[in-house]
Amino acid sequence: MKPLQRRRVVGYADPVAVRRALTLTLFYAMFTVPFAVVRKVRLARVVARGAARILGPAVHALDEENALTKKKPVLLAALAILAVPIAACGSSSSSTGSSKTLVGAGSTLVAPLLSQWQPEYEKKTGIAVAYSAIGSGGGISSITARDVDFGASDAPLTEDESKEAEKGGSKVVQIPWALAATVIAYNVPGLGDELKLTGPVVAEIFLGKIKTWNDPKIAALNPGVTLPATSIVPVYRTDGSGDTYALTNYLSHVSPEFKSTVGTSTQVHWPVGVGGKGNSGIGAALKANPGSIGYIAIAYVVANKFDYALIQNAAGKYPVPGIPSISAAAATLKEVPSNNEISIVDPPASAPGAYPISTFTYALVPLKAPKAATLKPFLKWAVSPEAQAFGPKLEFAPLPSLVVNAAEKTIATVEP
Amino acid sequence: MAGYAHAAAPARLSAANRSLADRVGDPILRAITWLASALAIVVLVALAYKVFDLAGESFSKYGFSFVVRQEWNPSEGTRAYGFGAADLLYGTAITSFFALLIAAPLSIAIALFLTELAPRRTRRPVATLVELLAAIPSVVLGLWGLIVLAPIMRSTIEPGFNSVFGFVPLFTGTPFGVGVFTAILILTIMTVPIVSAVIREVFDTVPPELREGALALGATRWEMVRMVILPYSRSGIVGAVILGLGRALGEAIAVTMVIGHTLTGIHASLFSTGDTLASRIASEYEGATTSLQISSLAYLAAILLVLAVIVNVAARLIVRRSAVRLPFGVGAPT
Repeated sequence: MKPLQRRRVVGYADPVAVRRALTLTLFYAMFTVPFAVVRKVRLARVVARGAARILGPAVHALDEENALTKKKPVLLAALAILAVPIAACGSSSSSTGSSKTLVGAGSTLVAPLLSQWQPEYEKKTGIAVAYSAIGSGGGISSITARDVDFGASDAPLTEDESKEAEKGGSKVVQIPWALAATVIAYNVPGLGDELKLTGPVVAEIFLGKIKTWNDPKIAALNPGVTLPATSIVPVYRTDGSGDTYALTNYLSHVSPEFKSTVGTSTQVHWPVGVGGKGNSGIGAALKANPGSIGYIAIAYVVANKFDYALIQNAAGKYPVPGIPSISAAAATLKEVPSNNEISIVDPPASAPGAYPISTFTYALVPLKAPKAATLKPFLKWAVSPEAQAFGPKLEFAPLPSLVVNAAEKTIATVEP
Repeated sequence: MAGYAHAAAPARLSAANRSLADRVGDPILRAITWLASALAIVVLVALAYKVFDLAGESFSKYGFSFVVRQEWNPSEGTRAYGFGAADLLYGTAITSFFALLIAAPLSIAIALFLTELAPRRTRRPVATLVELLAAIPSVVLGLWGLIVLAPIMRSTIEPGFNSVFGFVPLFTGTPFGVGVFTAILILTIMTVPIVSAVIREVFDTVPPELREGALALGATRWEMVRMVILPYSRSGIVGAVILGLGRALGEAIAVTMVIGHTLTGIHASLFSTGDTLASRIASEYEGATTSLQISSLAYLAAILLVLAVIVNVAARLIVRRSAVRLPFGVGAPT
């Protein structure tokens, strides 16, 4: 965060600084006046004595006796005390500091990209963006409570969440600003990387129907691969997570049983398995449990070099999760609905190279934002090619132009 | 007020002669101390009120049956959407009970060692080290449990218990590393410092005459402990254990990191994962989106508050009753 800056405009008394100065004076008076009254000592002497103690070394000939008998040092001392609040008016205050920062909270999936954007944007415009990755559910609740300037969520707002968010004064809109994927990672000693799985099989694994790695259904998809008899331990997110949303969205599309038992949400009840908090929690659970399978944002999988599964898409192919397959999934989008709620999981067979569990992630912004003047340029920059260029290194695919247009149209509707 | 010499007191005592400073000093002192005490009570009442208020929606939907419902499904679109505290209550009860079962004898042993058996010069350092365990932040302990203890549990300890005590239903099931057993061990580590510190204080209050009398009559050290120290300190030990129970009931962060966050129903296996009241609140509150979920989490908090009150009251009753039974009357240091 940038420290308070000195404003060099003469004759301008910044309202917050004036308020602060008056409060300081009031506090000072609160202590000295009763003291003077109770001790029956003249107020001037009290002020002078206090000033003498504080400013003694600075002001010549201002020792205890002189302060009480001579007139001049008393006046000097009184002026010195009063000068402090007036001088405070000259310095700038936190009000300018506050419009130079943006505070956001939410999705951990977009957190690595945001941490690339933060220093870049600050260098470019001097505005500091503070972000806490507390999970998509946390982002939604923070922006509903208007605790932050923008929220970030991988899951679009449900109707109920929209209604709750509207209670803060205005509707909250979602602006797609990054495109990533959720990957199925596993830790099975004796099994190599890139195991082939299909959506229904993954659904049965997470429902607890398929219990061991050498189950015939998995063996049928992976001829020639020796599967150990280890039992499968599903690992899931305990916090409100957009990765949970993306995976449950996909599994609800491909498995009606999953849809009715578990459903689609940022926080669901998983029938079997072990929970971990955050992407790092799942990572720790995966590393600790041989035979475990979990779902993590693609950036974390790449960074920690987990083994990941290849999921069969509608065209029957097994695309490797990465920028090309995510972009192929996004390219199946024909038009963006008015509320920007885009779902590209389980793309149709017309896109043979599409990765089935790709997800857009959204910035949540109220339509009436007090910091709109700072927020809108930031969001516009975030969806622009300049900011999206930071994505590929972290396995975020660049936004398709259709989505960028829709995002910019929504950003334009935000007003202070 | 300080500074007034006693010799000057008579002249100042009459109302007319007392200066303004004397007249306002006493009432101000009374007012400030009264305000401080009232503030504590106000905070407690306001907290309880707010928690019960927030739980209102869930209470109006489920009533008291919430306590016996065995599901927790935050996903709104499903058939099974709904909340219930039964599994969580069971998890809380199991983890606290077993943690204290291990911690109580351990703490008594530590306290005995420190008061009776340790060489005088090592008492202070060992006592300090035990108390330092209490200074470890719970999240650090949870992290240690997740990264260090859980793998050891999974690979060595849980299979070991299974092979030796496998006939006991407690030690059956697949070891995951994380789970109820690991949470029990973490809670034990957290409660031992508190319980042993209080028990040590209690042991110190045993009158030396009693101790020396027993030894003079020919009792061995162990007999002296068994005949004099333990019976004398019984109510104090109970009080200390209840204090530890209070800590174990409310521990959220460390437990949520090692317990695996699942609802596995009411069954005996300690190796399985599970969840407790406090841990569920800690892990789900931040991401809770539907108002029913938030309200149910507040309902859990209300249950925890009620449990804490019950435990406290029970502690006082037990301590009072056993104090009366003791021949020497002087019981708990509380």
